Amino acid sequence: MQIITEQNLRNLIDLLVKEAKLVVGPKLSGSVVLYEPLTAGTELTLDALPRRSSKELFFPVCEDILSYKREGGGMKVTDVDRSKFPETVLIGAPPCDAGSPSILDAVMSWDYKDEFYLERRKKSTIVGIACTKGDDACFCQAVGLAPDAENGSDLFLTPLKDGSYACNAVTEKGQALVAAHKNLFAEGAGAEPVPFVDQAVQKLDLVKIKKWLEEHFEDPLWERIADICVGCGACAFICPACHCFDINDEGSTDDGVRRKHWDACGFAKFTNHASGHNPRDVQNKRYRNRIMHKFKYYDDKFGKTLCTGCGRCIRACPVGIDIAEILETINGKAE
Amino acid sequence: MCESKNIYLPNLATIEAIVDETPDVRTLRLVFQDEAVRENFTFRAGQFAEYSSFGFGESTFCIASAPTRKGYIECCFRSVGRVTESLRRLEVGDTVGVRGPYGNSFPIEQFYGKSLVFIAGGIALPPLRTVIWNCLDLRDKFKDITIVYGARSEADLVYKHELKEWQERGDVRLVKCVDPGGAGPDFDGKVGFVPTVLEEAAPSAENTIALVCGPPIMIKFTLPVLERLGFSDDNIYTTLENRMKCGVGKCGRCNVGNVYVCKDGPVFTAREVKAMSQEF
Ligand SMILES: Cc1cc2nc3c(=O)[nH]c(=O)nc-3n(C[C@H](O)[C@H](O)[C@H](O)COP(=O)(O)OP(=O)(O)OC[C@H]3O[C@@H](n4cnc5c(N)ncnc54)[C@H](O)[C@@H]3O)c2cc1C
Ligand code: SF4
Ligand code: SF4
Ligand code: FES
Repeated sequence: MQIITEQNLRNLIDLLVKEAKLVVGPKLSGSVVLYEPLTAGTELTLDALPRRSSKELFFPVCEDILSYKREGGGMKVTDVDRSKFPETVLIGAPPCDAGSPSILDAVMSWDYKDEFYLERRKKSTIVGIACTKGDDACFCQAVGLAPDAENGSDLFLTPLKDGSYACNAVTEKGQALVAAHKNLFAEGAGAEPVPFVDQAVQKLDLVKIKKWLEEHFEDPLWERIADICVGCGACAFICPACHCFDINDEGSTDDGVRRKHWDACGFAKFTNHASGHNPRDVQNKRYRNRIMHKFKYYDDKFGKTLCTGCGRCIRACPVGIDIAEILETINGKAE
Repeated sequence: MCESKNIYLPNLATIEAIVDETPDVRTLRLVFQDEAVRENFTFRAGQFAEYSSFGFGESTFCIASAPTRKGYIECCFRSVGRVTESLRRLEVGDTVGVRGPYGNSFPIEQFYGKSLVFIAGGIALPPLRTVIWNCLDLRDKFKDITIVYGARSEADLVYKHELKEWQERGDVRLVKCVDPGGAGPDFDGKVGFVPTVLEEAAPSAENTIALVCGPPIMIKFTLPVLERLGFSDDNIYTTLENRMKCGVGKCGRCNVGNVYVCKDGPVFTAREVKAMSQEF
């Protein structure tokens, strides 16, 4: 097994920054930990789950997709030079974040290809880390991941009791990263792994849940649990798997940019027709769509669940809607 | 520069002609500026595109001209908001963006040898107009053609010049109508709601395809009438117009259950729509 000491992990970050790579990892930003560009290994903070997910590294909150400028009598439209997107290393993402891009790849690459997302994916290496920081909102195990799940990581680190990390190069990208910095890694048996926090949520039967959702599009449950949703969109914006977006122009009619930016199916106007007709006209229908999209529609289309069990939406919801609790309820009802 | 294709990049087109159909509905005739695009752009009746007004954004409209008419495309839209208002302020010679064509289409070849009944309400004539012209350009491939078209008032009827043409050409039966209270003194059509007028017109369902476009409420009341006239759900086609943004199955806006209207639609049979039995 390959081992990397904590100091060498920080040295690795320093080296990657020197190589002009964009290195992003959990960092204390004001009073909260967020995924932010690291300028030095000392900035890496691994003692809390970042408040927001690492999704925005691949799918930014807001990004230019073209620019336009009036020229002569006409309009000139210029593409965004995606070849300038930086080589990126995401470092220190627990499985609930490291695993999300591999879920989103499906929607971004079927039929039409979203090259903004895919180019960033191609140029990124994900160094995941086994999670020992879970709290009572975590339920990754219930949706098929686990604190030590390697899905989505190129290189996977497991914290050991002596402060070092066991490394597993999961993909070729991960192997290349290790090979390029061989002297930082040592061969050895390693100390015992740090134990994981037990998750409170029982293991969910996602097949059963999906079947229940199929058969209970109309169900009193939706009114009961989702009428209190205020449609603030916090759950979607903080989620590593949500991918709804809007497209808008910013600038004048002569000169400006077109931008793609996050949106949320919980917003009241999300599906509003120009005629005033709104297919999801009340909040519980919108919340139902959120659950359906994650645990039925995405699975129907791409064979994947659109949730990594990170628990962020539970921690963030201002009215205390708890997705894990809802799934447990459905799990209990389903035959 | 980038080798990969940016799916959000529109083609540029020049507004070649403008027709004001009603006080708030306008048709634009668009010609692609790039010669290669002009030559190679093809689409099928029923498909839509994303049209941009630079500085305001994009809006979804069907392609209202017929695929059998080459060299230009047309869209016909009602001014209802930000993008459509700004499109309405543009003039002949101005540039708009067009990306598409997107979505599925009406399977016109499967209609050969059959009669057709078109049923449209209000601004929903454009998605059928493309099919109507497509079929009229291949007139001998079809038996009877009936068009039932209604709007709230006489002023709200779009394509008035073409309604006249259809009325006069002899090989089409046009039944036009307006809601009660919407007719002027000289109105030469019927007064009544589309479903009622359709039932009175009673087109034969035998070997006939019905194509319905209109607001959800009109469709809801028209389907039972068609059923009474003997149409099976497989012979009724309609389009769903869920709000869209990306048009290509990414933005998550247009779904009805696990159906993405932008990719799996917008054209569906009544059987498919009923199978969805969900919010749309
Ligand atoms: C497949 C398809 C085909 C279509 N074909 C046609 C066609 O051929 N012709 C046509 O006219 N239309 C068509 N439509 C509808 C068309 O896409 C919309 O009318 C158009 O996109 C409206 O764009 P807009 O930017 O002008 O309106 P928006 O500015 O987006 O406004 C839309 C409506 O929502 C309201 N609204 C928006 N934001 C807010 C807010 N924050 N608060 C309160 N209210 C708000 C507006 O007042 C308005 O009523 C089609 C739609 C689809 C999906
Ligand atoms: S739905 Fe909630 S728990 Fe699931 S991935 Fe999104 S934020 Fe995390
Ligand atoms: S965070 Fe809570 S209140 Fe806000 S949209 Fe999500 S479920 Fe609704
Ligand atoms: S319009 Fe974006 S998914 Fe259909």
